[in-house]
Amino acid sequence: MATEFHNLQELRQSPSLATKVFIQRDYSEGTVCRFQIKFPSELGSRIERTLFEDTVKTLNTYYAEAEKVGGQSYMEGCLACATAYFIFFCMETRYEKVLKKISGYIQEQNEKIYAPRGLLLTDPVERGMRVIEVSVFEDRGSSGSSPSSNVSSGISQR
Amino acid sequence: MPTSGDERIKASAFIPVSTAAVLLVGSTTLFFVFTCPWLAVTVSTYVPPCSAILFFLVLANFTMATFMDAGVLPMANEDEDKDDDLRAPLYKNVDVKGVQVRLKWCASCHFYRPPRCSHCSVCDHCVEDFDHHCPWVNNCIGRRNYRYFFLFLLSLTMHMVGVFSGSLLYILHHQEDLLKLHCTVTLVVMSVSGLFFIPVLGLTGFHLYLVSRGRTTNEQVTGKFQGGVNPFTLGCCGNLEYLICSPISPKYTARPIKKSAVRIMPPFLKPETDRQIPIIRVRDNGVQRHDLQSKVSLSTPNTLIREDPLFTHTHTQHQQQGGSSRGHYLSSEPILARVDQQLAFQSGPMSSPHQLNSLTLNSHFLTHKHAYRHGNKLPALHSEGLISQKVSPGRFPPHNPLSSRSSFSYSNLVNPGDPNYLPHPVFMGVSRQSPQTRDTLPRDPSLRDVTPQALMHRDLSPQTLIHREASPIRYDNLSKSIVASIKERQEMEAKDRMLRMQARSQALYGCPDMGVYDIPSRRSLPADSMRPPGSRAPTPPSYGSREFMMSTGILGYAGTRSPLSSASSSSLTRAPRTSSSPLQSSGLQSKGRSPSPSYLPPDRQAKPSSSSSTLPHTPSSSSAPCVPPKRPSLICAMEGKDSAPLALSK
Repeated sequence: MATEFHNLQELRQSPSLATKVFIQRDYSEGTVCRFQIKFPSELGSRIERTLFEDTVKTLNTYYAEAEKVGGQSYMEGCLACATAYFIFFCMETRYEKVLKKISGYIQEQNEKIYAPRGLLLTDPVERGMRVIEVSVFEDRGSSGSSPSSNVSSGISQR
Repeated sequence: MPTSGDERIKASAFIPVSTAAVLLVGSTTLFFVFTCPWLAVTVSTYVPPCSAILFFLVLANFTMATFMDAGVLPMANEDEDKDDDLRAPLYKNVDVKGVQVRLKWCASCHFYRPPRCSHCSVCDHCVEDFDHHCPWVNNCIGRRNYRYFFLFLLSLTMHMVGVFSGSLLYILHHQEDLLKLHCTVTLVVMSVSGLFFIPVLGLTGFHLYLVSRGRTTNEQVTGKFQGGVNPFTLGCCGNLEYLICSPISPKYTARPIKKSAVRIMPPFLKPETDRQIPIIRVRDNGVQRHDLQSKVSLSTPNTLIREDPLFTHTHTQHQQQGGSSRGHYLSSEPILARVDQQLAFQSGPMSSPHQLNSLTLNSHFLTHKHAYRHGNKLPALHSEGLISQKVSPGRFPPHNPLSSRSSFSYSNLVNPGDPNYLPHPVFMGVSRQSPQTRDTLPRDPSLRDVTPQALMHRDLSPQTLIHREASPIRYDNLSKSIVASIKERQEMEAKDRMLRMQARSQALYGCPDMGVYDIPSRRSLPADSMRPPGSRAPTPPSYGSREFMMSTGILGYAGTRSPLSSASSSSLTRAPRTSSSPLQSSGLQSKGRSPSPSYLPPDRQAKPSSSSSTLPHTPSSSSAPCVPPKRPSLICAMEGKDSAPLALSK
């Protein structure tokens, strides 16, 4: 019994992962990096639709900026070629810079919006830019409907 | 053995790239050493520098094509493919600029390959915008390094052209010295460059064609867009522009992942629509109960109905009766009957004490009835139940304040259905009062009337109600032992008060220690088979103390089965007190106090059927028609039984 109580305290301190929701890529405009803005139903009870869509739209904007074919990317390529690509050892590419911005944005979104709602965004670059992984954590404040909540409810039911 | 085989395969994979590297570097070096000086003198001094630059370009692109990640897609996590792996179709269609592109499920990487992505069997990974696996660079050519491969091909072609033409020029001017070292070397270099120039030129031309059409080698070889429209092409110039000017996509594998320390702690925010839904949860024992007291009390009728059919219909009746005493009278009856049943059941072997106890309680009922007649405020559960047994409803003036109070107390007394809780919290309120007045047995009838009422009012205090009110569902976050201990304490308090009240009531009739019930160990509950046939079987109790008290009381007063004799109560009092139950002392007192009209079993049978269908919320008089028909039978049953205990007591 004491062990159970102790485990409950631990569980209370670290919410367990309930499920993961994956936002797939939107290939409607080719292979440019773009994610679907469609709001998944699994998140309907956890976060407002507008917040989520804003996040994805902002991410899409960032990626579009990173993949923009223009003067800056051309100069970067020429410079790299001219230096026999030794320039890559000295400075990071434009894409990498935008990725850092994206990472910071995701971190900020997690801290401000998603973590208070028991969600966590994973940077798509960690998944090969294929999906945006949204981790949904068990909401202990509510009647646990997720499978991972059976730990606490099972104890009490017993 | 497989290891050596893999090593052999790995070793053999390096042969082409090694050969290519040796040939490239070697030939160029020889060219620079033996041919370029003459070219610099004869043709131009810019020949060697240009050749050198071109050669460095070739080398750079060759190095980038060889060592740069082609755009390897990391394998999907288990979480991502847990739904797809077994039931997923092999292909999935997506729309790319109006063209349906088929995505194939990669069994190795566990995801649907993005468009233009293919799995390299040599490297065993999926590559984004996969072109081909080039053995000469021992690397996949994909999105990230196709530019370098293409530039390598271009630069190599140009370099080979330059080397070949320079060597040819040299040979043509030194035909008479062909056997000399310089000429021999130049001849070899020319041969090598000439030999490999054809395939390299062919490959370069092929890839120029692919770039112009916006296809990959893989797509060209597999004939994906042979007859159809290629949705990925940007036009000839657009493709060339994309080839040369597009930013270098990032590497997905082996990235320095910085773990963000984002703290996720419940409770979590909910969307606005969910927040509007009233959340009534009783989790932490005691804390949230207090906070949710108002809410729980509001929801108690529902929980009552949901959890306890007995209390459902009783409460329904109670509410439907509104503030009438009739409702209280009727609502308390089933509870009392149930308690009586349980008490009787509990003390099956000790039937005589129960009988005696029931007789004494019946006498108490009479007393309370009379007290009520006089307009004294009586506890809803105890006295009204007692009264109902004897007096027709018409005799009772409507007593709204008490009714409301009683309803409040009643609703809060009844446990909404915590499985760990006994479904009979009524007697907690009753029993609480008893022990207090156990020692002081007022003989004054007026005091008799007042005291129980006061005690009951004490029970009606919010605090007691809070204690009595149980979590609507269960204690989710507490272990069973903690819940049990908490409930034990509550039961003890309730029984103490009940015993006090009962003691007072008993004392009024000169029956000492009538409420002294002996509560055996918590686990020794009466079997269900011992219950009166017509009674509703209560929910299996998990904590014995309260059930014991109630069951023994009910059993003692179950009039349909057997008359209760005075010996029952005495045996109850003499029951061993060495039981380990902590509630024994209070239970001993409470047992005798539990009122249990014997008419309850039949009444209880009728009541569920009549009131179970009624809504609990509205205290309307819809169930009123159901009630009166039962009353005469109840009263008659009680009257019949009351005469016996009265005779015994006297």
